[in-house]
Amino acid sequence: METLLAFLTVFTQPELLLLVGLGTFAGVYVGAIPGLSVTMAVSILISFTFSWDVYPAISLMIGIFMGGVYGGSRTAILLNIPGAPSAIATALDGYPMAQRGEAGTAIGVTTVMSFFGGFLGIAVLALAAPVVSDFALKFQPRDYMLLAVLGILLVGSLSSGSLVKGIFAGALGIAIGAVGRDPLTFTERFTFDLSIMQSGISFIAVMIGMFGVSEALMQLHHVDKTAVRQKITRIVPSFGTIRKHLPLSLQTSTIGVIIGALPGTGGDIAALMAYDHAKRVTKKPERPFGQGAMEGLVAPETANNAAVGGAFIPMMTLGIPGDAVTAIMIGALFIHGLNPGPMLMIDQPDMFWFIVGALVSANFFMLLFGLTGIKLFTKIVEMPRAVLIPLIMLLSIVGAYAVNNSITDVYWMLGFGFFGYFMRHYGYPLGPVILGVILSRLLDDNWRRAIISEREDLGRFFHGIVTSPLSLVLFIAVILIFVSQTPLWARAKKKLLGDPAEEGTL
Amino acid sequence: MSRIETDHHDGTSDATPGGYEAQRRPGELVFGALMVIGSLVLLWNAYGISGFEALSAPGSVPMATTAVMVITSVIIFLHDLRLPRVAGETVARDILPGVVVIIALLLVAYGFLLRPLGFLPTSALFLIVSLKLLARRGWLWTVSISVGSLVLIWVIFRIIFTVLMPAGIVPEAELIQTFRNLFSGGQ
Repeated sequence: METLLAFLTVFTQPELLLLVGLGTFAGVYVGAIPGLSVTMAVSILISFTFSWDVYPAISLMIGIFMGGVYGGSRTAILLNIPGAPSAIATALDGYPMAQRGEAGTAIGVTTVMSFFGGFLGIAVLALAAPVVSDFALKFQPRDYMLLAVLGILLVGSLSSGSLVKGIFAGALGIAIGAVGRDPLTFTERFTFDLSIMQSGISFIAVMIGMFGVSEALMQLHHVDKTAVRQKITRIVPSFGTIRKHLPLSLQTSTIGVIIGALPGTGGDIAALMAYDHAKRVTKKPERPFGQGAMEGLVAPETANNAAVGGAFIPMMTLGIPGDAVTAIMIGALFIHGLNPGPMLMIDQPDMFWFIVGALVSANFFMLLFGLTGIKLFTKIVEMPRAVLIPLIMLLSIVGAYAVNNSITDVYWMLGFGFFGYFMRHYGYPLGPVILGVILSRLLDDNWRRAIISEREDLGRFFHGIVTSPLSLVLFIAVILIFVSQTPLWARAKKKLLGDPAEEGTL
Repeated sequence: MSRIETDHHDGTSDATPGGYEAQRRPGELVFGALMVIGSLVLLWNAYGISGFEALSAPGSVPMATTAVMVITSVIIFLHDLRLPRVAGETVARDILPGVVVIIALLLVAYGFLLRPLGFLPTSALFLIVSLKLLARRGWLWTVSISVGSLVLIWVIFRIIFTVLMPAGIVPEAELIQTFRNLFSGGQ
């Protein structure tokens, strides 16, 4: 009964429902405007809502998350510019459809399929999270440590870039998270004897800099690009169209939930993998992939929204973020005095069920806003980047300052913004840095707990790993991810299977 | 999974982190070298925290992570060294064009002026200069868009979200109080 009440909180309190609706509405537009990402929006928003109660703050963020993941598909279809990274695959077939004058159909299908995928993801979250949480109670400190390492490694290995750069970025994030006084011994770490370093680096400043300022600086390269107007007629898709693609959407939703649930991955990777899957399983698409295949829209759109629910599973049950946005939301929960992880599910199950309820309502709002307001949408999306970019920068500065009323945070934010800009240019993923900052404390505390409990003996520590099935599985997963990305593995695979995969990918 | 290329290989997300796989972008080697040097400095600093005192010492994780940074940054640097430089790209055009440098300098200036001048005048200056530079429109358009959006942001964040920003030379609190008095009939 209490579970149901917590679930229904958002539906029974008009203020919360309004905030979810407002968030979803804003999310659809934030996601749709190239240059504004959901991660950026949520990271900036966290600094403005930290003084709010936890329910309203989370309601707004969840709305933006859900709406933003969907919103990117709009400009991907209309302008061939994915508004959000999770809509990159959508552009491949969506834009050719728009060029044939079928933009309305494409938008309608993506909206309904996003709703379907989102709903499936939330259902899996509601069913699986309590089980995972019970299981997580058996975790030893060494398991948490291994899980943190796994999360950081996964984000590097699943992105299409270099694993070594991913590991570097993750390690950098851990080092940034360690700056300041050690909470256990009060020893100064990486402070360089500077008093401003003693309180550490605000992870919100790092997030806003890396995702907000660096992205805005990046958009300066495309400042002269203008929006192309489209004529849109029918939006609501026919029942036959939906029914025809239901089997594929079920498969790709499953891919979305699983990828979303893997620590460190998100809707962008889920969408690309689902698109790949659709290409492999669809024998006879009405049109070839890349030239307007409906399956090419259905797959990424169900998967990226299903990944939202999936991303909340590790976040709520283990305190490990599923993707960059949930990393920021973990930060939001910390700020509100909550500690995401298995104990949150036991001590405050109402928070979990409230989040599930908020996700469900956001999903309905997404369907509503997705199928309506297209004229307003085209107006907002046509906003020139020359206006948008300075405003994003201004909001980033306000956001960084607002958390601690500290000008130092603004300097950190700008520094990380400039650094993130170069990282983007040279192929260093930013996600592991943020994951590293968030997971730094978890990794550090649990390593020290684990090694102290083994009387500072590395031999006993490894013995503990090989004799505990859970630790062993996690340890093997860490090793496998690492080894599978090495050139040596690629060469061995090529030799054994004749795999044409490129060698030398670091 | 196939790689989806972006316009400038500048990394739209973690699924497509930017750069080239088999080529080196201009300035990439310098960035890589700086990462190696920075990692070495951090490793040295991490060693200074507690040395090899104990496995559970406060410096153990910082030492391990910075050691990983040194190893990976050296691998990246050596890998980049072997790669051919990408043709047709320059630092001035593709990595640090003038507009990026100017906006970055404006941001730094904004950061330094925020405290002494206050939020409203600094933001107005920043918006007007950057909009004029980016949009290349007339002064009337630039000033009205800048001031209009600044007022909107100020109302949303200062009044609705009650975010406190440096007041500087503008008597913000007095202004707000005056408006409050006006709307409450002076009570």
